[in-house]
Formats: sequence, C-alpha cells, structure tokens
Amino acid sequence: MALTLTCPICGKRNGYEFRFGGEDKGPRPPEEGLTPGAWCDYVHMNNCTAGVQKEWWFHRDGCGSWFTTWRDTTRNLEAEPPEANK
Amino acid sequence: MNRLNQLPTLRIDPAVNHSLTYRGRTYQGVAGDTVATALFANGVRIFGRSLKYHRPRGLYSLDGECSNTCMEVDGIPNVRAENTLLENGMTVKEQNVKGSAERDWLGFMDKLDWMMPAGFYYKIMHKPAAIWPMAMKQIRKAAGLGIISADHKMKGRYDEQFLKAEVTVIGGGAAGMAAALAAAQSGRRVILLESRPHLGGCFDYRVSTTSDGTPLHERARQLAEKVKQTTNIRLFEHTSMVGAYNNNLITAFQVGKADDGFTECYIEIRSDSVVVATGCIERPLLFDNNERPGVMQVGCAHRLARTYGLLPGNAAVFSVGHNPGLEAAVDLFDLGLKINCVADIREDGQDPALLLALTERKIPVLKGWVATKAHGSKMVQKATLCTIDGMVKRQFSCDLLVASAGLTPVSGPFILAQAIMGYDDHTGYFLPDQLPEKMFPAGRITGINDPDAIETSGRLAGLEAASAAGADLWTKVAETRNALAAMPGPERGCKLVIAPVKGRKSFICFDEDATVKSVKQAIDQGFDVPELVKRFAGVGLGPGQGGIPGHNLPLFVAKYTASKETPKPTTVRPPLVPAFIATYAGYNHHMFKRTPIHHSQKADGGIFRNIGVWQRARYFTADVDCKEEILNVRNNVGMLDASTLGKFRIHGPDALKALQRVYVSDMGKAGKDRIKYSAMCNDDGCVIDDGVVVKRGENDYYFTTSTGRAGQTAEWIRYHTRYDNWDFHLVNLTDAMGVINLSGPNARKVLTKVVDIDLSNEAFPFSGYREFYIQDTIFTRALRLGFVGELSYELHVPSSYMQAVWDLLTEAGKAFGIRNFGVEAQNVLRMEKGHIILGQESEQRTNLLDVGLGFLWDRSKTVARTVGAVALRQAANDTGRLTLVGIRMEDDARPARDGSLIVDNKVRGYVATMRRSFTSGEAVGMALVESQLAGAGTRLEIFEDECNGVRIYARVVPMPFYDPEGERMKS
Amino acid sequence: MADIRRQSPMRFNTGPCRTEVRDNWTVTLAYDDEGDGPWLTDLAHKIRWDLQDGNIDAVKPSGLTIPASPGRCTLAGGTLINRMNGTQASIYHLGAKAPALPDFAGYTDVSESMVFLALFGPGVFYIAEKLTNLDFMDPAGKAPFLLQGPFCHIPCQIVILEKTPDGSGGFLLTCSRGYGDSMVAAILKAGAEFNLRPAGENRFDTWISCLSGEI
Repeated sequence: MALTLTCPICGKRNGYEFRFGGEDKGPRPPEEGLTPGAWCDYVHMNNCTAGVQKEWWFHRDGCGSWFTTWRDTTRNLEAEPPEANK
Repeated sequence: MNRLNQLPTLRIDPAVNHSLTYRGRTYQGVAGDTVATALFANGVRIFGRSLKYHRPRGLYSLDGECSNTCMEVDGIPNVRAENTLLENGMTVKEQNVKGSAERDWLGFMDKLDWMMPAGFYYKIMHKPAAIWPMAMKQIRKAAGLGIISADHKMKGRYDEQFLKAEVTVIGGGAAGMAAALAAAQSGRRVILLESRPHLGGCFDYRVSTTSDGTPLHERARQLAEKVKQTTNIRLFEHTSMVGAYNNNLITAFQVGKADDGFTECYIEIRSDSVVVATGCIERPLLFDNNERPGVMQVGCAHRLARTYGLLPGNAAVFSVGHNPGLEAAVDLFDLGLKINCVADIREDGQDPALLLALTERKIPVLKGWVATKAHGSKMVQKATLCTIDGMVKRQFSCDLLVASAGLTPVSGPFILAQAIMGYDDHTGYFLPDQLPEKMFPAGRITGINDPDAIETSGRLAGLEAASAAGADLWTKVAETRNALAAMPGPERGCKLVIAPVKGRKSFICFDEDATVKSVKQAIDQGFDVPELVKRFAGVGLGPGQGGIPGHNLPLFVAKYTASKETPKPTTVRPPLVPAFIATYAGYNHHMFKRTPIHHSQKADGGIFRNIGVWQRARYFTADVDCKEEILNVRNNVGMLDASTLGKFRIHGPDALKALQRVYVSDMGKAGKDRIKYSAMCNDDGCVIDDGVVVKRGENDYYFTTSTGRAGQTAEWIRYHTRYDNWDFHLVNLTDAMGVINLSGPNARKVLTKVVDIDLSNEAFPFSGYREFYIQDTIFTRALRLGFVGELSYELHVPSSYMQAVWDLLTEAGKAFGIRNFGVEAQNVLRMEKGHIILGQESEQRTNLLDVGLGFLWDRSKTVARTVGAVALRQAANDTGRLTLVGIRMEDDARPARDGSLIVDNKVRGYVATMRRSFTSGEAVGMALVESQLAGAGTRLEIFEDECNGVRIYARVVPMPFYDPEGERMKS
Repeated sequence: MADIRRQSPMRFNTGPCRTEVRDNWTVTLAYDDEGDGPWLTDLAHKIRWDLQDGNIDAVKPSGLTIPASPGRCTLAGGTLINRMNGTQASIYHLGAKAPALPDFAGYTDVSESMVFLALFGPGVFYIAEKLTNLDFMDPAGKAPFLLQGPFCHIPCQIVILEKTPDGSGGFLLTCSRGYGDSMVAAILKAGAEFNLRPAGENRFDTWISCLSGEI
C-alpha cells in the first residue's frame, strides 16, 4: 500500500495504480532451436533477488505504459527512478 | 457537581447544556464535555466492569489508552467515552455487568483470580473434551467487553479524503504547532493532525509559564491562532493517526463535528516528510489496586479540573515520579483540592521551585516513597505509601490517588513506520535507534520538558521536514539546532519498575485484566520475552494496544528475568487507536459499467448480474431455464445486448506484427469483407481469449475480444511486444459501440426493414463483414456470426445511437415475434451448437488443443514468436491431457450441474456446461475429460456435491447437438 | 420513420429548463436551479479525438502545435490538446462546432468511448480529493495540465484547466462510457456537502470563455 513507483510518463504515483510484470529477463528467445527446458526457464524461472532488482511494471490506471524500474524487494521501496521505455 | 466556571483554560461552554440518558435517568452535561466527563460531573465514578474479574473501573487517563471507560453509546458498543464528545440526547450504557456497574452480581469473580492463572483459557477445561463447549459458553457469558448485535446497522455518514502535502505534522501540541508554522513559512503545503478536539497538547491546561512569563495555556492559544491563520496549513482536529507506512504514507480518521456532514472521515495522506510530535502519555504506576476508581494519572486529574472545570476529588494523595506531577499538585491545591501527601519516587532531582511551592502550601512531601496499595472495595478510601525499598509504610485517607511512574513517549508512529526501537538510558524511553527516512521527532517525545525547548524543537523539526521536502532552509536549520542545544535537554526519567508489592492485584494491563502475577506466571512457564508474554498473558491485546502496558511490560520482563539485554518494546499495529470498520469502508462506491441500453433492458424486465466490470441482463422472465427466450431465437428472432464485447482498433506500420505475436493464426490472412476468427494463448499455450479480426485498411485492423479480456487486452499486447519498439497504436473502442446480436430464422426479414444494403445470403454471406449507415446517419459495422447457431447479425453501432437502433429493430421485428434474450439463453443456445466460452469450457490449464481449437494455430509462423506457440508445439505430443467432449446423460430428465466431477476411483474431468435442451429434449453438455475417456460412447460416472454416494451417468457423444452441418447458421 | 436521438451516458435527476437539439443530441443549456457552484456539466456531445503516430510532433491538429512533453496541454480557440505520451495526444473540441475528422490514419474519433464531464466552481478540488489521491493542487502543476490516473478507482484522463490555492477552479474528466452512471452518482454524493449541482452548457461556456481570455 505504501509503495510508490515513478512512471516515466506520469511521475511518482501510488503503487496500486500499477501491475507487476515480473523480473526483467530480456527479449523473447527465437523459436528456432529452442529447447523446451530453455523455454520454461525463460518463462518461469526467476532470480527472486533479496535486494534491488530490475522489474517490469505497467501503469494500469494511468497512461498504460510498460516500463522497467528498480525495486528493493526487502523494503518494498523503489530504489532508483525508472528507465524510460517510450 | 459545581464546575470551576471561570478558568481561562476551560474547553467547555458552561452556558450550553447537553443532556444524556444513562440507566434510565437524564443527566446534564455541557458543550465541550466528553461522555465520560459529563457522567463524572454527575457523580458517576464507576463506568463499567473489567473483562475477567468484573472489577470496577473509572477515569484513569482521559485519552482513551485503556478500556476503562468503554461504554455503549447510542447502540454502538466499546465506544471510548472519554474520547467521545457529548452530543445532546445520547444514550449511554455500561458494559460487562450483571446488574449495574455500581452493583455487579459477578463482582465475586475478582476473588476467583487464583482459578484463572495466565493461559488458563488454553489449558483448563478441555478434559474431558465434552466439557469445553459448555465451559466456553459460560466463560463468554461472564467475560468480555461490549456486545455486538449481529444485525447492527451503523448509522451515520462515513467519508474519505486522499490528501497530498509536502509536510505532515502528527500532534497539535506546542511542538507540533511550531513545526507546522516553521514548515509553512517555506510555502509548502502542511497538514497538522491533532487527536483531541482542540490544539494545545500539554500546554493547553497548564498555568506554568514560558521563559518570558506567558502562561502555557495562553501560549498554546497564541500558537493555535497563528496556525489557523496560516493558509497553507490544513488543520485536522479530533483526528487520530491510525497508520504510518514507509514512503511517509499516513492514515488517520477525523471525528465529525455537528456541521461537518460526516460522522467520521478516513484520511490518507501522502507527504514528502513527516514530523512526529505526538508527545508523551504517562507510565502507569504498578501497585496493588492501581486501577481502583479514584486512582488516576496526573494528566487526567489536572485536565479534569483545568479543561472541564471538575475537581477530580476532595482529598488527594499523590504518588508520582516526575515534575509535572508536582506541578499538578500545586495547581490543583490552588483550585481547591485538599492534598494529604505527595510521595515522589525520586530521592532527589525535583524542580526546586515546585518543592518550594509545595512547602509554601504546607503539603507534606515524601521523597523516595511510592504508593503500594489503594484501599476501598469500589472507590479509593485510603492509600498505603511506602519507601521504595518497602521498609516503612504509612497510610493516608483520600478519595483520590493521583499515581504516575513518569512519562512515556507516544512512539507508535515510529514503530508503525518500521523503525528499530532502542532504549534510552537517560530518559528511560523507548525511542528509535534510527529514524525512518524523512521522519522528524519534535517536542516531549524526545525527552525534553522545558516549554521553550519544546517549541524550539518543534521549529527545528518543521524546518528540517520542509528542507527534506525540497525547501532550502538549511541555514535556519543550523541556527535553530544551535538555539535548541543551548536550552535544557532531556530530563532523567524515573526508573522504578514496580512498587514493592507481590503483584497479585497490581494490574499491568487493564483491558485484559492482566496482573503482574500473571506476567510472572507466563515468564515462569517459559514465555520470557515481551512479545510472548503479551500473547500468553494477554498484555496489550485490548483496544488500547500498548497504551497502558507498552512501557512497563518490557521493563518488568527485563527486570524479572534479570536480562542483560536492552529491553525491547512490543510492536503496535494499525489501527493505532480503535476505529470503526465503517470508517475504513468509507464511501464504498459500487463502480460498475452499464451498457448503452441498460435502462431500457431493465424496463423490459431484465434481471441483472455482475459479470466482470459490467452488469448484464441474464434473464427476462422469472424462468431461470429461459425456455421462451431460447425457443424464440430458434423459431422466430431474438435480440441480445452484447455491448460488453471488447472492441479495438490497431493501426500503424507494425500493427500486423503485433497481431501475429498475440494471435495463434496467420493474421496476414485477415480480409476486408470477411472476418477472421482466432484465439490468443499465454506463454504456456493456455487459451485466454478468442475473437474476430477485420482488416479495414492498410495497417488498420478492427478486432474483438471476449467481455472479460477487454480490460487487459492493451496491456497484454504491449507486454508481449515490450522489447520490440514496434510502431503500432491501440485504441480501445469497447465502450464506443453498443453491440446488438440479432439472431433467429427471421433475423434477415427484420434487418431488411431497417437497412438499405442487400442482405441476401450471396451478397452478405456467413463470416461476412459490412459497413453501412442506418438512415444515412448511424455508422454501423455488421458481422455475420453464428454463436447461437442461427442466422445472426452482430451490429456494432455508436453507443449514443444504440437505443435508437434497438428501438428501430424492435419496431421492425414486431411482426416476426422479436423479443429480448439474455446471457443465460445465449449460454444454452451456443452450448447446443458446441461453441465454447473461454473460462467456462476452459480453465487456467486448458490449452488451445484441449478445447479443439488447434485448427486455428498456424505452425509455420515461427518468425512472429507467437505467444504460446512453443508450449503448444510441446503439448501437441502430450498424452493424458484433458479434452473437450460432448456428453449426454443416460437419463435425459437429470442433467448434471455445471462443475460436477467426472470420476472413477479418482477425478478424471469435470462437466463444463450442461442443460436439458428444449430443442431436442436431451440432457446434453460439454465436459473436459482425460483423453483416454474421450472416445465416443465412453460411459462417464459423475459425482455431484451432496449426492450422498449416488452417482449419475453420461456417455460421450458427438458435438454439436444442434444443426451439425451449420445449415441454419449459414443460410 | 422514428425520430433518431442520441443518448448521453450520464443522467441527472434534475429537470432541465432549457434544451436544444444539436446533431441529434438533446443538449441542456441550463437547469432550473444550478445554485452558486460548484457545478457538474455533461459534455457528451463534444467531439474528442485520439491521435497516435510514431512521428506525432509533426502533426498539427487544427493547425495547433502539440505540446512537447507528456502532461502538458494547449488550449486555443476552443480546441484543447493534451499530450499523453511520446506518441499519443487527445484532442477535445470544447466550442460549439468541431471540424471534420482529418483524413489521417492516426486519428480516431473517440467521442463515443468516453464519459466527458466538467467539474468547476468554488471548492471543486475539495470534492476531487474525496475521490482520488491524484494531486490536483500540486503547486508545481501549472494549468492547464493533464493527469492520467484513477478517479473513484476508475482510470481517467483529467485536464485541470484552472486552479487557485483555495481549491477552486475546474477540470475536465473522461473515463470509459459504461461508468457514466456510477461516476455521476459518486461525484454527486461526494459533492453534496459542497452543494454541487448539475449545470447546463451555458455555464460551462461562460467559464471556458473566461479562461480563454486569461490564457
């Protein structure tokens, strides 16, 4: 409830305006030569960092943009302002 | 009782009478009274009985830290009478009594305390087991606070406010006001919260002076006046903070005044920085019968006289451990209270001026003495005083025993904000080792007591808070910090933990009737840290949280266990003070979407259900089987309001790429005059949505989604393209167009009367898409679909015109028997046709192949990296997945309920939808079963809830059940 | 043939006093008793466009330049342009007439998608803070500016057109059309203690023309 996030478009807002989009894992791997195991790892494996990690968030109640930001998972506070993602 | 009517410190208006009813009698109070002070003015001394022992309880702190004065006020139980302003005509009842508070038949319980050691409720009376339900019933009858009636309806208006400020100040005493004023000078927005109905804090009722000779109560009023005149300070009086969270989110609630328009208002404040100026309450003195009516804390006695004009007793004994106690004795003596003795726990260190004042008034002072017992069965009649080593005792008669071990800071905001608390040896206070970010303490909470220092520390905190919020006041901060350093600092606090008593009747927590003895028992049983004692002996679990025991419990545990570690306070949690659930609920707006013809559907007899964010008409008659609605679609023509369907425009150079990413089919084949049906999967290949797509122009598509997915579609598409930087744009048109589903063999005849285009099957065939104007005005998109299995037109029209189009069709359809059908009729119609609804014929784990939609998937478009494709490729070879099949009951009169399990010796699947078809008379439906059971003719055993072991049986049959060739749909 | 009329997503239980039919809308010009403010006006009949393009800065809606940074707005000649993000802007036509939708693929007419209302008058931001935690009175925000966020828990686009330190001024609000009735009920309930009343288009026009004079 107390979490605030900085949307690159709208600025600092209450956390409950946003939807969590998971850890940042990079682009979708190409399908050619992809093993089922590698695919499952991409979709389901997470680092679950206890500390600051880079995450995707969606400004659901606001401008509707996906962006990445850094969050301290031990304190549930935004650690650094986000990268603008258009 | 005569009031002291002329004091400048009064917060009552003796000229305005308010009456209340208590025990069948009407009592008079005055404006400004609380319920408790009004009763006190009328001679009421016992306000209720305690939780377990039915001990009489009276005024103790006047700020609601304990449940002593919890009463039922106007039908609401457990109202803290000392925090509730008197309103004319209130009805008040005492709680937990058999008889009256004065004469309680259960008063004998107090003698049975030996039967109720710590933890007895968990340990006794469960052998034999049969005795427990009876014992529990009896205990619950005898114990407890107020009684809530199950059908109680809260009266009043509960409001909410979401505020923003740069600086929030908690506490409207001198420090808080000084902080607010200092922060406001920077032009920043400041919010000031005060839990009492008026500003002033500990200055409000005191006649001692600041260094320039201004009486403190006058100084408080000067500051309050300044605060009220400062436009960028928003003041909330009678507003208690209930929550503090990281990122400086503060929650509070305000009690409304007569002209406020709300009973209570929930307040949520986001600010850059916070000043905590919550001041101190008193640390209760532990001795025998330390909660007997007539025993009260210094502030309580002092404020009764100064704020409410009520002398707290006739003859008093004081047993205190701090200077404010001596100050109160002097002042109360001057107001007419007889004082038989003042015992000060401290051997030395008293303020010499106060000692002199006591001597001048011939009040005997005993240094190094403390009260050990209050005598009197219902009211204090006598007090035993004793040297702190327990050697010498003396008795004094009195009807008032003012007792306090010292001060204790109101540190709740820090604990709530998750500060790590430490113990300060000098003051004896629990204070944060490290302050939470941008939180600044001010005033007495820091240990200071000098009036000038209190104000200066407030100013300093205000300047710091404004600076932390972006104002550049650092020079002023440094100046003020130097000024504060030159003033008297924190005073040494009294360290006495308990008077020299055994503690059988020394109460450490009033709310739960927990004695020092029960704490010892808990520790002896191994519960040897405060957090464990708290739960096992019930210390601080009552309405007051840690208000009474918060400081004493950790000190006592440390002492009794001879612990060398620093004592740690127990945790408090929101709400810090009791708040109504109604206040938290606030407005409780029910926000939902209505379709453009909601009101006419209602007028037509529609019975509405919440479906996702929408309300939709489920039935149009009381017949939940919808026979008439269904047969009318099959035989004549029906109209369904399908406006909730998700509708989107996607355009831009990369629009097709985005569609290829999320849809399983090759969307490059989407055409201009024909609709393309496809589905979306998630990364596990599980099907999440289906809909149709039309290409309306170069890089310009129109597509639909299911009702439930409309809200997430933009999010979904953008998520799965978030690394690609593609140039495409989505416009959500869901609400822009109403959708009319015109279905039935007569649909063409009806539509012909309304539109000008050629509707023949050749000109506008099944799966066709057309755009035209109705009456040259209403732009319409028409889709020939067949969800319900009949000739159907889906018309998408501008929402503002939907009612007009609906009315035109209704008029045109009169000759053909047109009528409404609802969501349930549609559900049956499409089920007969074997058309699935995602979420009904699928669940989270169901993939595209399971529901038989594998034909939609284009395996060749690997370049698109379609969401779900990798998983589907893998799942294509899986055996043992669930498969969607058609089923028919062996007994057509007995359809299985939706969701029933298909079993043998384990669960093998479940029934998705099943109805008795009015068209064929057969009980048919769809089920998801393990693939080994999917063969035609397989007999399925069905388990229903509460079937008492009786199974029903069905067989796998071919789908669809209606018009298998699709002749009607495509005609 | 039936008389074709359009319906607004909002309904007030107040009898209108003066109405006018315009483009099949029944537009209320004034209500019998509009009080001394604050006011709530239904603007469903005003045309709104969505504009999205990869190179949006090159587009000149009604000849106007789109503000460069998200959250900024331009109001000129009854046309309000709100920059939403790097590639998107919304355009509200507040005057009596709106131009035809330009023949450019980036535009979509979204008038039918949204509830469109104005809340303006004395103390109007004290009503707003009962329904949202968005910071309307941010001293750093200079009107007109755009907020995209929840109002009464519903995602909205809000343009603050005027604000004074005493909580007066006004703003425009759009949200999904289906929420019309719920939104009006919530706003009127929250505004009751401030004597919020529905007002007709005349009062809105007066306000806007005052504003345009100032800007």
